[in-house]
Amino acid sequence: MPRDEELMSEALVRIFENVVLTEEKSLQAGYFSDLSIAEMHTLTAIGPYEARTMTKTAEDLGITTGTLTVAIDRLVKKGYVIRQRDTKDKRVVRISLTRNGKLACRMNSKFHRVLAKHILEGYGPEDREHILKLVSEVDTYIEEQLKRYDNTEDVRKTAREVAQGVKNKEKA
Amino acid sequence: MMGITEDKKKIYDDIIALLAATLEVSPEEIPDDIGVDSGLPFDSLQLYEFVIDLEEKYNIKISDEALDGIKDIGDIVDLVAALSGKEG
Repeated sequence: MPRDEELMSEALVRIFENVVLTEEKSLQAGYFSDLSIAEMHTLTAIGPYEARTMTKTAEDLGITTGTLTVAIDRLVKKGYVIRQRDTKDKRVVRISLTRNGKLACRMNSKFHRVLAKHILEGYGPEDREHILKLVSEVDTYIEEQLKRYDNTEDVRKTAREVAQGVKNKEKA
Repeated sequence: MMGITEDKKKIYDDIIALLAATLEVSPEEIPDDIGVDSGLPFDSLQLYEFVIDLEEKYNIKISDEALDGIKDIGDIVDLVAALSGKEG
């Protein structure tokens, strides 16, 4: 059914773009207008509680520690992040949120929760369960696609598998 | 405040002090009739300022899900008591 695929494809791209756009506009109009979306996501990755290492946070964000260092420099200057060397292992740098950083992080979580709440509020329990199951399946599938491209070696492996598949078909 | 434990009375007093700090007024300016049944006089930013202060004071984590159930100061007292192991 090509029409279904077209509708699904358009909706997926639109949802992604509009969620980011809405988030960005709400940020600009709100208390934390000096933060970009990427910076807000960095604060969310650090989280409002225990200090985290640079390495683990970069891993969660899917960026290099070098890129994260630049972002953290900016967030420290803006007063949202505290950077400290580990007291036991001086090689480890730990980052945590200032009070303002915690506030921004929690307000952003609230934005996402309110969005989800409004999407679900018109539905009864059975429909909600069904919607959440379908969304979760889409989420899992896309997550799996992302994992295939997590590092170059995997991309090469995928390419090899595709090539092998073609060869095997040719042989058959 | 009859019939509540000493711990809960202490939590209630702390909450009134933090409430005053969040609203940037002195504790004396918090109306006398504010009690366990009073609603929370916050906008969402003030609510999170208050929650973060409360988390730091009691070394607890208050999730958004837990906040959804909060209707008045009495609910917060109960929540903090439960999370900090001072329920009783």
